[in-house]
Amino acid sequence: MINKMIDIERRILIKKSLSATTIAMVVASGLLLPQRVLAHWPTKAFNAETVEDVLLALLGKANISSSKKLNFSVGKPAKHIVNGSSVSVEINSELENIERFVILVDNNPFPLVMSMDFSPDVLLPLKTRIKLIKGKSQVIAVVRAGGKLYMTKREVRVDTGGDI
Amino acid sequence: MIIKAEDRIRATLRADNTHIRLLLAHPMHSGRQLNKDNMLDNAEFIQDIRCWRNDNEVLVIKCGSGTSQNPYFSFELADGQVGDTIAIRWVDNTGAKGDMKAIVDS
Repeated sequence: MINKMIDIERRILIKKSLSATTIAMVVASGLLLPQRVLAHWPTKAFNAETVEDVLLALLGKANISSSKKLNFSVGKPAKHIVNGSSVSVEINSELENIERFVILVDNNPFPLVMSMDFSPDVLLPLKTRIKLIKGKSQVIAVVRAGGKLYMTKREVRVDTGGDI
Repeated sequence: MIIKAEDRIRATLRADNTHIRLLLAHPMHSGRQLNKDNMLDNAEFIQDIRCWRNDNEVLVIKCGSGTSQNPYFSFELADGQVGDTIAIRWVDNTGAKGDMKAIVDS
């Protein structure tokens, strides 16, 4: 009797472990990745390797006006940054109806750092931190406000690069 | 890599606007950097961060691997009052998720 019980339990255990391993394999194979979320991530823009390609993929063909309406600061102290693994970035502007804000670094292997979609409720200033590669690079901020694009650049020099 | 720190959020009312500060605990590996054993770590970085105020989506952030380790964001929302709930959710490229909530205080 006891032997029989143990036998049944063993079979159940084997069945359970089998199904667990198959599920694990399916998960590892990537079939169950959250497709919806991945689809929303602009893969083409994030994998583009030049600033022009990123802007084309993300914002389409449009005239970008360099603007002094954007108040953009990179690093403390600015211009010369010791550690590129965490560089503070602050953007401020008096533009209204900002819809999208994009940060790019031209010498990073993949220039697009982040892209933000604002609702009308969001107000600037906005602060965040980015990684920069060693050497000189341009940090670029692009803002789409009221259907127009505005761009501003800051040149910085970094001693130790971040793990980009 | 396991980071023991927790995600943090702080929401306060400043001059009638809601000021939000957000610190996520995440390694943000790009997948292109050698570790101590001279091996490549798997890519692991947050791709999507969303912020809600009282069920209204207010901000969507798409991140690449160029965002720093333990991403930090600070921004303001127009108006608001003490007691509003601010909710954050994030998803990384491996499918890991996180969420948190904060009540706006004065």
